[in-house]
Amino acid sequence: MPNLNTPLIETLNLVKRYGSKTAVDQVSLTVHGGEIFGFLGPNGAGKTTTIKMIVGLLQPTSGSVKVAGYDVQVQPLPAKAASGYVPDEPNLYAKLSGREMLRFVGDLYGVERSQVERRIDELLRLLDLTQAGDDTIDSYSHGMQQKTAIAAALVHDPKVLVLDEPTVGLDPKSARLIKDILRQLADRGAAIFLSTHILEIAERMCDRIGIIYQGRLIAAGTMDELRAHGQAESSLEDIFLGLTGGAEYAEIAEVLG
Amino acid sequence: MTAVNTTLPAHPLWDYVWKLLKLRVQIALRQFLHAPKSRKIGMAILAVLFVGFLGFLFFSSWWLLNFLTSSKLAELAGDASGFLNSLPVMLMSVAFLGILLTSFGVLLQALYLAKDMDFLLAAPVPIRAVFIAKLLQAILPNLGLISLFALPVLFGLGVSAGYSWLYYPMVVITLAALALAAAGISSLLVIGVVRLFSARRVAEVLGFMGAILAMLCSQSGQLANFDEMNSEQAQAAMQLATRYNTPWLPLAWPGRGLVALGEGNWGQALLLLGFTLGLAAVIFAVALVTAERLYYTGWASMQVVSTRKKPARQRRATPGEPTQASLLERVVRLWVPGPVRALMVKDYYVLRRDLRNLSQLVTPLIFGIIYAFILLRDPQIIYGRGEMPEFIYQAAQNLSLYINVGLSLFVGWMLVARLAGMGIAQEGKSFWILKTAPLKVSYLIAAKFLVAYLPALLIGWIFLLALAIIQQSALSILWFTMPAVALLIAGNVGINLSFGITGANLDWQDPRQMQRGTSGCISSIASFIYLPLGFLLFFVPPLGFSLFGLPGWVGQLVGLVLGGVFSLACTIIPLRLVSERVMQLGEA
Repeated sequence: MPNLNTPLIETLNLVKRYGSKTAVDQVSLTVHGGEIFGFLGPNGAGKTTTIKMIVGLLQPTSGSVKVAGYDVQVQPLPAKAASGYVPDEPNLYAKLSGREMLRFVGDLYGVERSQVERRIDELLRLLDLTQAGDDTIDSYSHGMQQKTAIAAALVHDPKVLVLDEPTVGLDPKSARLIKDILRQLADRGAAIFLSTHILEIAERMCDRIGIIYQGRLIAAGTMDELRAHGQAESSLEDIFLGLTGGAEYAEIAEVLG
Repeated sequence: MTAVNTTLPAHPLWDYVWKLLKLRVQIALRQFLHAPKSRKIGMAILAVLFVGFLGFLFFSSWWLLNFLTSSKLAELAGDASGFLNSLPVMLMSVAFLGILLTSFGVLLQALYLAKDMDFLLAAPVPIRAVFIAKLLQAILPNLGLISLFALPVLFGLGVSAGYSWLYYPMVVITLAALALAAAGISSLLVIGVVRLFSARRVAEVLGFMGAILAMLCSQSGQLANFDEMNSEQAQAAMQLATRYNTPWLPLAWPGRGLVALGEGNWGQALLLLGFTLGLAAVIFAVALVTAERLYYTGWASMQVVSTRKKPARQRRATPGEPTQASLLERVVRLWVPGPVRALMVKDYYVLRRDLRNLSQLVTPLIFGIIYAFILLRDPQIIYGRGEMPEFIYQAAQNLSLYINVGLSLFVGWMLVARLAGMGIAQEGKSFWILKTAPLKVSYLIAAKFLVAYLPALLIGWIFLLALAIIQQSALSILWFTMPAVALLIAGNVGINLSFGITGANLDWQDPRQMQRGTSGCISSIASFIYLPLGFLLFFVPPLGFSLFGLPGWVGQLVGLVLGGVFSLACTIIPLRLVSERVMQLGEA
């Protein structure tokens, strides 16, 4: 049974500065096992920067990140071994086949070879990539590359899965499949942290939602909690626009006028 | 249904072409203006040098052609007028074929890889204007380059032979017409080839072939023995050029027409040049219309050869079943950790499959073969003993044996510069995979070290062994030189890998941009200092011992200790200094 009380992702006063610009400002959040956490924010709000600090791609200016109980800065190897990451752009090794790519990732994460082979077959079948499994990745469409990146993040059966815009470029069938996979992983006790611009996905899939704006986490909680904080807005779209401002819409009307 | 009224002013076709070309010029100008000051200064110096070179080319052609037409030379070496008249024929043919070949790559980029075609075709711009602009864009740089070399020679010929003034503008017009025809044919070739193979793959193969060809051309001069060329051979070469100047060859018509125009044979000139210009215009027009139609109908985007599906592979062992590993595999598994093995296998796959990488790797081999051939063609460095004392003669003989080591190191160095220098940078935008994995920095460095070290060592040793067998070197030399080469290459890998880490550029699109210029330069300088120094530490003791009549094997042992310590220090220390940096890469 998933243990909802186990925090698998914890960020505490996370800050990232680039010179004088603060990309992420004092972000503190917790994601428990069995939970899908949706991370929303307008373009340039600091979503990807936060995610990169969680998975160990970026060093925070200050604050800390713990994944599966390990501090990513102090004990990076066990923290990384527990997590899987799907970036917004699936930059994979173009000259490896999908199968070779997954085998390589399995070896990096120290998964037994026999287990890796079984897992690769399962994932390729699940993601409808069996036919293309022996073709090099440079012959894949964007959607297939995205699915390969998702398969690579799942090879080692991670406790924590961090996804940056995972459904971008996927057809409706694949997008649905990914949503089902994430739900199942969460039901089995994994913590899922995903950023998305599709508010409908966040509203329907996520157990809790965080909204980041200009580097600061301005709201976090379940849909009901967010509604209670808002001004009687009913949909996530209204809450999101209410929190992140809607002044630009007057400009749109003016320009198209 | 009534059409929506749009307010699009009607412009002639050439207005659109001009707009599109102007955009290209603006982009180029902006790139220059935003370039670092050092690059701007460098480009300005290059431009001045180039203009100077062109002036030199013009005056030297003029002088040389005057000399060739002199009556005194004719008395001595025969009449050179046949050769001189065939010069325009050859230059025009070379220009046509050169533009045909070079514009293939440029058009492939412009039509398929630049990814602006969809934007341009969706814009309210005539499709013909887009294609004309693309063709002009493809030929202008190549035509410019070829003209810069051909025009001074052709004009020099005109001045020395006292040609009619009409000759000069017609040279430029004919060159331009030939370039347009060549680009037209090239565009059809590109569309035809991309129908069969993917554009990206064609670009890779083209890059590979181009690099190898350029390499072979640049080094072929080393193999040629111009010193021993006699006057008969020179005359035969001139006759070959004259024989090419035949009226039956269409490629000869523009050159023959220009000579006829220069000499005042108006009828022949009008016929040949008129036919050339007319044919070029027809070829260009037909190619333009055909290319435009093939592209617009989608024919050019449909590949007829689909990727061959490989049959599903049989797994080597069913899950849980112990695999039958060879002894070597078991030893490797025992000593090399799994992630290091995985990284090495991945790198070898990537290097082998990406032709752009392969061309960089084949280059050292070509160098090695050429220089080994030169060395073997003339293996003796000491001709005769003369008054040389015995001990100096012996030392010189020993030194000649150690020269093989220099060759092995040279080949190994070139391979190391590519494999180690760009070991980390070649990860490019995929580096996130390694950075988010639970991978120790030491494993990553060890894998990159081995990926560079093992092939360099293998090739270095093969060269060493092959040369030792051919030159029948003593076994005592071989047992000493082999570990020396192994240790020297290790130090070189350490240095190159370290500088490769500090100067890694992970955002590259083109493999040639993997390493930052300054880091690559410093890395080369460091290797250049390290290798001779290491060479001296290894080889001075045995040479010194033999000079003083002491046992040679003791000298070799001393050399191995001194050189070995130095090489190992150069292997380990730089890598230790930069290891902290590895996991900070990509955090701009």
